[in-house]
Amino acid sequence: MDFILPCLYSFLACLGFCIIFNIHGKIVFYASFGGALGWFVFLLLSFAHHDLVQYFGAMVVITLYSEIMARIHKAPATLYLITGLIPLVPGGGIYYTMEHFIEGDTSKFLSSFVHTFAIAGSLAFGILVVSSLMRMYQQLMLKMKYNRANSSKKRV
Amino acid sequence: MNVNQLLIASTAVGQALLENGAEIYRVEESVERIVSAYDVVDVNVYAVPNTIIVSITMSDNTCLTKTKRIRHRGTNLDRVQGLNDLSRRIVIHRPDFEMIMKELETIDKRPVYDLKTQLFAYALTSSTFALFFGGTLNDALCALLIGPVVRLVSFYLGLVKANPFFVTIACSLTAGILGIIGTQFSIGNQFDKIIIGVVMNLVPGVALTNSVRDLIAGDMIAGQAKLVEAILTATCIAVGTGTAVSLLPLFQ
Repeated sequence: MDFILPCLYSFLACLGFCIIFNIHGKIVFYASFGGALGWFVFLLLSFAHHDLVQYFGAMVVITLYSEIMARIHKAPATLYLITGLIPLVPGGGIYYTMEHFIEGDTSKFLSSFVHTFAIAGSLAFGILVVSSLMRMYQQLMLKMKYNRANSSKKRV
Repeated sequence: MNVNQLLIASTAVGQALLENGAEIYRVEESVERIVSAYDVVDVNVYAVPNTIIVSITMSDNTCLTKTKRIRHRGTNLDRVQGLNDLSRRIVIHRPDFEMIMKELETIDKRPVYDLKTQLFAYALTSSTFALFFGGTLNDALCALLIGPVVRLVSFYLGLVKANPFFVTIACSLTAGILGIIGTQFSIGNQFDKIIIGVVMNLVPGVALTNSVRDLIAGDMIAGQAKLVEAILTATCIAVGTGTAVSLLPLFQ
């Protein structure tokens, strides 16, 4: 129960975002599912007791999911990535940073400021790792295809 | 197709991609692929969020360059998908100029969700995010009512071509004030959950994602520009909600 409801909420929220970003067709469902999957991984990693690790892990899974779906549906990976990322963006962090600032509590303000930045950073790092690996994989595949074509020519 | 038409068609595809929120490397790669499908010696494409420059050298050594300034950018992922398909098809079938321009027109006319559906979407995201961040059902109800109002504010400010940062400040201010009023009339319980739920509609998720993907692909200037956009948008959200929260004593 602790898992189902938050995942359902993030699924519905991503569904709304698909409309805001003007996505049509079956991709709406799959992109929203990515958001739910991301939050599921986030909750699954709660044993790490460090939310930056959770954000990073969730982002890695979402990026992988979107790259795979992009290849299945022959659509740009951004469609899935942008939608799936939304529940992880630190909206709460931005708000509480602002609140501590207004209360004049400098130490709390600074700690939540740095924390919000760190969350955004770990999301960015998650995308960076998987996207870079995907690019390397693509290059490798291209090279192998090229080599195979060349070697078959030689044989003839 | 002559070099002039090729230049016009490929730049138009690149411009449409940039305007609808594609990453820089996708824009550059698509234009390069389209041009390379025809009889050319060399093609160079340079794109930043505001400009695209395409330069072509043909086999008889004629060179041509075209620049397009992009003034309005939004996020319409359906069009990005359509344009991506189109550029793939151009590479395979090498259609003539009229065909490409006709295809571009049909992509431009692809359906967009109308305002009513968008209001519904804002209500859905606001209320579910209020629940998601630990709000009660009352908070969700409050956010459900505020979300569409925020969309209306951004819609009407968009009609007078307001600058996007000003729109963000106005929207988050509206969200803040209405959230506090909602708790004062005891529709909602905690105004922070309501405000966060509504403000999640404004967070710079697209700018953050695209900035990282551009930086990976080596487009440093575009990546930096979008990173600054993301930070400024987040600051605008803080300014808007902060103004509302600091007005709190007036409501009590």
